Order: sequence, then C-alpha cells, then structure tokens
Amino acid sequence: MPTSASSLLRLTDIRRRFHLGETVVEALGGVSLDIQAGEFLAVWGPSGSGKSTLMNMLGLIDQPTSGMVQFDGADVGALSDDALTDFRGRRIGFVFQSFNLVPVLSALENVALPLQIQGVDKTAALARARAGLEEVGLAEFTGTRPDRLSGGQRQRVAIARALIARPDMVIADEPTANLDSDNSRMVVDLMRQMNQAHGVTFVFTTHDPRLLEHVDRKLLLRDGRIESDEVTA
Amino acid sequence: MKASAYLAIALRGLLRNRRRAGVTLAAIAFGFAAIALFAGYTHNIYRGLSLQAIHGELLGHLTLSKRGMSREGKLAPERYLLSADDISRIRALVAANPHVKLVTLRLALSGIVSNGRASTIFVAEGVEPEAARGLQDGLRDAMDLGAAPTGGVRNLDTEKPDHVTLAAGLAGLLHLKPEDSAVILSNTLGGQANALDIRIADVFNTGNAATNDLYAYMPLQLVRSLYDAEGRADRLTILLDDVAATESVRADLMRELAAAGFDLEIRTWNELSTFYTQVRGMFDMIFGFIFSIVLTVVLMSVANSMGMAVVERTREIGTLRAIGLRRAGVVRLFVGEAALLVLLGCAVGLLLTLGVRYGINVADIAYVPPNQTEPVPLLVDLDAARIAFTALMMAVVAAFAAWMPARRAARQPIIDALGHV
Repeated sequence: MPTSASSLLRLTDIRRRFHLGETVVEALGGVSLDIQAGEFLAVWGPSGSGKSTLMNMLGLIDQPTSGMVQFDGADVGALSDDALTDFRGRRIGFVFQSFNLVPVLSALENVALPLQIQGVDKTAALARARAGLEEVGLAEFTGTRPDRLSGGQRQRVAIARALIARPDMVIADEPTANLDSDNSRMVVDLMRQMNQAHGVTFVFTTHDPRLLEHVDRKLLLRDGRIESDEVTA
Repeated sequence: MKASAYLAIALRGLLRNRRRAGVTLAAIAFGFAAIALFAGYTHNIYRGLSLQAIHGELLGHLTLSKRGMSREGKLAPERYLLSADDISRIRALVAANPHVKLVTLRLALSGIVSNGRASTIFVAEGVEPEAARGLQDGLRDAMDLGAAPTGGVRNLDTEKPDHVTLAAGLAGLLHLKPEDSAVILSNTLGGQANALDIRIADVFNTGNAATNDLYAYMPLQLVRSLYDAEGRADRLTILLDDVAATESVRADLMRELAAAGFDLEIRTWNELSTFYTQVRGMFDMIFGFIFSIVLTVVLMSVANSMGMAVVERTREIGTLRAIGLRRAGVVRLFVGEAALLVLLGCAVGLLLTLGVRYGINVADIAYVPPNQTEPVPLLVDLDAARIAFTALMMAVVAAFAAWMPARRAARQPIIDALGHV
C-alpha cells in the first residue's frame, strides 16, 4: 500500500456503521488508505463490499463513525458544514452513476454550475465551461439539455462539470454502470486522458474488470475491508 | 452563488412543472386580485365618506372648542361658549398656520319647530353662510360634481338671517317647502323660552336616514339671537389644505393655544364622524378576514407546490450540496423560486385587477348603502399602499412556505439525498 507523509488524502482506520432498524450494518470496518496526487485509482469489488461508502468518505460527503479523514494533511472532520461544503466545491469533483445533471439547464450551464456556486461571474464561468465541453468533445452540444443527450454524452458533460473548478481529485462512483461497453470504455479513457492532461487524481468504482486495465492502482474491497491494494503502473 | 444565478435557476425550476406552477400562480393571482379590488372599493368608500364628513357635514378637518364642551356643552351651554374676544384671538392664531385654508364659527342648537298646526324637534347648526358654502364646495370640487350634493347651506344668506334650510324628512313631516314660514322655539342661555319666525330657504337631503328628519342649517345670527348670545360661538371649524396634515396641525395648534393661555380641545374630522369610523371599522374587519383567507390559500398552495418540488428534486439537492452549494444556498434556491412565483402571480393579479376595475368603473353600477337615502356609484380605486402591502405579505408567506421544506431537504445527509428515488 503506497504511503506518504504528503498524501493528498489519507483515511485512518475508518469505520462506518449504518442502523437499519434494530440491525447495525458495518459498511466499512477499519479502512486505512493513502491516495497520492495524480493517481488514477480504481476501487472494485462485489456488490455490498462498501465501495460506495468508501467513495462517500473520499468525497467528503459522509462522516465516518470513527477514524480520521485528512485532506492535504488537514483533518476535515474538524470543519463546519459550510467550510466542508466550500472545501469540497473547490477541491473535489464528482461523477455520478446516474449523471445527476440538472435537467432544466443546458450542458453548458450544467458544466458552469460549480463555478457559479463559487460566485464566479457568469460570463467567465460560461467561457470556462465552453472550453471544458470542447475538451470532452461536446462543443456542438453547449445549448442542449441533458434529456436530449445520449448516456455517454451525459457522462462526458458530468466529467466536464467535475473538472471545471480545477479540483485536486475527482470521485466517480460507478460512472459506467448505466453505459454500454463502448461508452464505458470511452468514459474511462476520457477520465484517464484528463488525469494525465491535468494531473487530477481520479478515483472510480467499477464492476467491470475490463476497465481496470489502464489504471495506476487497483483497490479490491470485500466486506468493508481492503482485500488487496495493487499498484499497476 | 450570485442572486442573478439563483433567480435564473429558480425561473427554470418553475418551468419544470408548468401545470403545477400555473395552478399555484392562478391561486396567487386571483387571491391578489380579490384583495386589491376589495381594497380599491373600500378606498373609494373611505374617500367618499371622508369628503362627505369634512365638506358635506361641514366638519372641516379640525373642530376647536372649550375643553369638555362635547360632553357637557348641552347641559351648561353658557359655560362652554367662546366669548367674542376669545374667538377673535383664537381665530387670528389659527389663521396664521400655513396649512389653514378657512376658519369658521359654529353654534349648535336644538329645539322645536312648528308650522302652526304641528311641531317636532330639530337639531340645527348655526353657520356663517359664506364660509360654510366654501367648506361645502370642497365636496363638489373633490368629487368633480356639478354642485354640492347635499346643498344644506347653499341658499343661506347673511343678509337674510331668518332664512333656514331644513332636511327633507323634517320639512316633509311639517309639510314645509321653500318660502313657507314656520316658528322655532328654544331656550336662551339664561334659560328663558324664546321663539322666532323663520322662512324656509331650501330643503336638502342629508343622505342619512338618521338625520334626514331632524336636521336644519341656520345663519349664525339667528342662532345667536335665539340663544341671546351676541358675538359668541361654541366651535371653530378649521379647513386645511391637506387632509394628511390634520394630526400635525392639531398638535401645532394645541401647543400654540396652550401657550396663549387657552384650555381648548381640538378634535379631528374622523373622531367626530361616527359614521365614518364605524363604516371604516367594519370594512377594515372584512378586509382583514378576506386577507387572512387569501393568505392562507396562498400559503397552502405554495407549501404544496414547493413541498412537491423539493421532494421531486431531492437527488438534485444532494448533487448541488456535493458540488459545493451550502445548505443556505439550497434554501435560497427554493425560497427564490417561491418569491418568483409570487411576483409573477401578483403581476398577473395586478393585470386582472386593472381589467376588472375598469369594467366595474365604466359599468355605471349604483346601489343604496344601509342607512342611506340616495344611491351611490360602485367605484373601485387603486389602493397602491394596500396593493404593495398585499404583495409583500404574499411574498413573506410564500417564502415561509418554501423555507420549511427547503430547510428540511437542505439538512438531510447528502448521501441520503443522492440515494433518493
């Protein structure tokens, strides 16, 4: 397992339990993990292994039951909700399985949204969003609403949105689960291309072992624990 | 996020479910129009009644008298009449106020009037005919009428001090008509019975069933003569250039008169006009009732609309929170959407109000209000103050209705919102 004092993100003995009625389910049972800047990392494993819970921890959208999450050496558990939200907005991008684009906004407006949330002037935000859409090959779809785009195109818009604020890391939970194999391949290739072009850390989950071929590092999760952590690059 | 971005997204949000937004907007628009039209109707009524009180009933804006005159004046008139010297000094002091347009004397009288065969009681006001006419003409000018409608003092004449005007009901009781003679009987200040011959100068309609068989106007000289109170009066009626200055002028005059050594009371026209106060009280209560119902309907409509919108967009809220929108931002987004809905609803409601108002005002509808003898036109004004207040209150109510579900949604864990189906 790669470790470094200058890790971009470090999880230390993370446990996450959920209460389902009388039952307590431990989704993560003491996970420790270091992620370096610029890595292209895949988390894989069977359903119920805790992949999504781990991604939520990495994306700072869930709090562990115990353990510590450090981003750039800072304990993010100490941040207030507003501070954590701002931090997330600036430093982490998200790609979701169901794309999660705002249906009433055009592709261009969807991509510009994170910048507008940060208070960037609309003209500047749209200009950067246009460049972002060009980079993912959707320059001609700027004014198109998500419901007029194919699944692959929507996920490319989502990737452009995830990268628009120039984050340190992009979290992609099952980004190819709703796509056919060609589009899945295309999306992973695009993420890899962005990782190499911008040096942005990508962490994504997948069920598809074929998509693990080009990653730097593969993390196998089983029953809420890391079963293997393999560096391939 | 900047306000313009919130508004742009809020507008798109409204357009997602057009039918639902349309129904809510219609509820707001109709509610707004109902309130605005009723407010406009009552505004017209208040305006008419205030003009009637100030000019028609000759109350002016302010009435000045000795302190206690209104309560004890009839029991001991001698004690509460102003002397000629006091009147002169008070008149000069009042006339110096820049808002004062006219100051005139009044002397109330009650007694018995007889046609030689039958008699009945009357209540009369002794007035200075020219000044009283000037006061009454204000009604004609303000309402753009050809002549003052009540005309109570129209044919009084200082040169004919025995000529009086009688209310139509009173004249009818005694079968008196213009140029007929009659006798009035009352007491002097010293308590002696005193009778004088009078001639009917005119018959007028007070417009009010309660006073139409009781009221009379007489020249001040005649009343003074009957009282044996030369040079005296019980009140000074003051007409101002602006009704809005009523309270401030009262305060100024009270201060100046007290400094000059007078112990007087000054009452405003609305304090004296019981009818105006009662009608206004009743209409204000009805307005409050309608206002409450409409606000409740708006609250329920917006709460329902925004509640459904929040539930439908739970996953979107989770996404926005994940990519950096604070909880307060989520609340702002939905509150902004509700505010926009109200703004559009009020705009449509205002157009509706203008259209219906125009229709009513040109339809030439008239009706006889309770306790009145003459029909009055049904007219609707634009009450800008209450329209603005209504829009503001609707916005506040809508913001509250949106705030509750939005706050609940904003506070739920992001992973729960993202997992919402």
